[in-house]
Amino acid sequence: MAKEGLGLEITELRLGLPGDNYSEISIWGSKNKKRVLSDMMTSSSLNTENENGVVSSAEDESLPVVKSQAVGWPPVCSYRRKKNNEEASKAIGYVKVSMDGVPYLRKIDLGSSNSYNNLATVLENLFGCIGLGVAKEGKKCEYINIIIYEDKDRDWMLVGDVPWQMFKESCKRLRIVKRSDATGFGLQRD
Amino acid sequence: MNYFPDEVIEHVFDFVTSHKDRNAISLVCKSWYKIERYSRQKVFIGNCYAINPERLLRRFPCLKSLTLKGKPHFADFNLVPHEWGGFVLPWIEALARSRVGLEELRLKRMVVTDESLELLSRSFVNFKSLVLVSCEGFTTDGLASIAANCRHLRDLDLQENEIDDHRGQWLSCFPDTCTTLVTLNFACLEGETNLVALERLVARSPNLKSLKLNRAVPLDALARLMVCAPQIVDLGVGSYENDPDSESYLKLKAAIKKCTLLRSLSGFLEAAPHCLSAFHPICHNLTSLNLSYAAEIHGSHLIKLIQHCKKLQRLWILDSIGDKGLEVVASTCKELQELRVFPSDLLGGGNTAVTEEGLVAISAGCPKLHSILYFCQQMTNAALVTVAKNCPNFIRFRLCILEPNKPDHVTSQPLDEGFGAIVKACKSLRRLSLSGLLTDQVFLYIGMYANQLEMLSIAFAGDTDKGMLYVLNGCKKMKKLEIRDSPFGDTALLADVSKYETMRSLWMSSCEVTLSGCKRLAQKAPWLNVEIINENDNNRMEENGHEGRQKVDKLYLYRTVVGTRMDAPPFVWIL
Repeated sequence: MAKEGLGLEITELRLGLPGDNYSEISIWGSKNKKRVLSDMMTSSSLNTENENGVVSSAEDESLPVVKSQAVGWPPVCSYRRKKNNEEASKAIGYVKVSMDGVPYLRKIDLGSSNSYNNLATVLENLFGCIGLGVAKEGKKCEYINIIIYEDKDRDWMLVGDVPWQMFKESCKRLRIVKRSDATGFGLQRD
Repeated sequence: MNYFPDEVIEHVFDFVTSHKDRNAISLVCKSWYKIERYSRQKVFIGNCYAINPERLLRRFPCLKSLTLKGKPHFADFNLVPHEWGGFVLPWIEALARSRVGLEELRLKRMVVTDESLELLSRSFVNFKSLVLVSCEGFTTDGLASIAANCRHLRDLDLQENEIDDHRGQWLSCFPDTCTTLVTLNFACLEGETNLVALERLVARSPNLKSLKLNRAVPLDALARLMVCAPQIVDLGVGSYENDPDSESYLKLKAAIKKCTLLRSLSGFLEAAPHCLSAFHPICHNLTSLNLSYAAEIHGSHLIKLIQHCKKLQRLWILDSIGDKGLEVVASTCKELQELRVFPSDLLGGGNTAVTEEGLVAISAGCPKLHSILYFCQQMTNAALVTVAKNCPNFIRFRLCILEPNKPDHVTSQPLDEGFGAIVKACKSLRRLSLSGLLTDQVFLYIGMYANQLEMLSIAFAGDTDKGMLYVLNGCKKMKKLEIRDSPFGDTALLADVSKYETMRSLWMSSCEVTLSGCKRLAQKAPWLNVEIINENDNNRMEENGHEGRQKVDKLYLYRTVVGTRMDAPPFVWIL
């Protein structure tokens, strides 16, 4: 990473068609069978702030992370790789959910949820309430209850602002509050 | 030696146990060949398609122990489609038909089915030992047959297999009369375990030396198990989460202290690191420690544990140990012979876990080191030169720099000189894996110096065919060569066809070899199976007018005495 900008790229040995500038690897085969390195390898877009090392934008959320890496690289056997992935996703795991007015808390497996809508549904079922929703940007918030979460920095955030994956990783606990009470948490929604 | 009766010679041969040596004595003369084959009990077959069971049994009718390997090594990294082959059933069927007295079966990278396990369990009265490594295709139902039917079962060792866990009661299928177990390893099973059946089994197995539990065995069960088995030598801990003050934990601590024969520790698939201190009392006896699946053990708890392990010979660890942690290993584990450092973050998060500094520290502190597998973020030629100087005794040297084509991070040079120093200094080197930015030069060094090299793994390396030619011409003992994503083509492939008769196999994927090159090779060498694995376009290769020059995606060739195999799937084209 430290060598960027020194113009050494021209001396670099790389595999690829002339003019190819580290285009993405096609895992499922293509007309030109060469495997070229993805821009994960040299670009600084791969840094720890990116969720899961996925370089591309929101449209790629549905694609597996493996898109930005060569098949079978690094050479870790598939059994170990599976265990590694399980560890990574296990880290998300169960979080506590409290609801205002309910004397006990619940726990949900955030790791097994796959979208905000899914989360809202799960929570609705859990607390037997309706009108639970994830506030969407720009739209008028019509729900009675809104969902907020405590992040790694111990701030209470409104669920729905950030991409799903980013939310999953930073969410430590959830709370369902009445919208009318929300102003106490510094939320400016209407 | 002609004046000794055969029985005497046979008796002498009993002392010759290694496969290499037995193979050698069988070549001395006809009479030795005959004596050797009737007295041979253990056979190792490195490629299950190089020979067939009928010929095996014709030559070695007194076979008791068989080791078989199936898929090529790169299958571990998902480069070989699942249905490629390596089926064990035909072997078991043939062995069963011949009524050979099979006692041990060891399989690696093979497809094993419940049907084959069932047949195995019913066909060999004296069957004792089943070891399955990186296999797939079976479920716990198959294990149940083995448990139920193998009356003298000694070893059931399942290492890193993909097993469909039906959450059945396979453990309770061991009859109450089964008291002969020495090894029980089911760490790779995902499902629930019948703890009562397990405890009863362990309690009635006084010879049990190796016990490796899966994730579903919690701490309190572990405590009870260890009370039943203080003679344990090799322990794989399943789940290790607990509140340190609880009764189970205290019971465990007491039980562990009594395990004075414990030498090998692994597992900790789920761990509460602060409880590790329960193991400190026996750490000074440990010779082997595998924490490579213990993602939750790191930092000071890990370091404290290692500091107690002064006699360690083998250490498998995650790179979360860091360079500083490796320095602790270097200063504590003076008996260390084998080290493996695995990546904890496969998604390329960029956390600089271990670097060349850790490797240098280990090489400096551990004079007995002979095998290393090291995944790291970066490397330098200078570091490799130092490592070569510190450790000229490497037998296995496998370095994986996570980012392909990465040069020396200080000088931006290729790592040719560094690896060159390794092969030059390590005269006993048998296995080498390369990574980082490499030109043809490194292969020149390898061809020149790596005289004992048997296995070489190349990825994203080299410039021209010359690279591969240096290796093929220079490494006289080469057995397995596997290459991916490197610019070697037909010229190198075809230069010396007879070379492949001296090798077990060659793998080339995403290189420059063409279909016509492979065809020419197959023509010149009918004793080779030349397989083209082409998952995507089955028929395109044949129909296309330019087929000759079309690049082959995956080539796998191996010597064989039994010709083309009959069980190849449609996407494998054997030329």
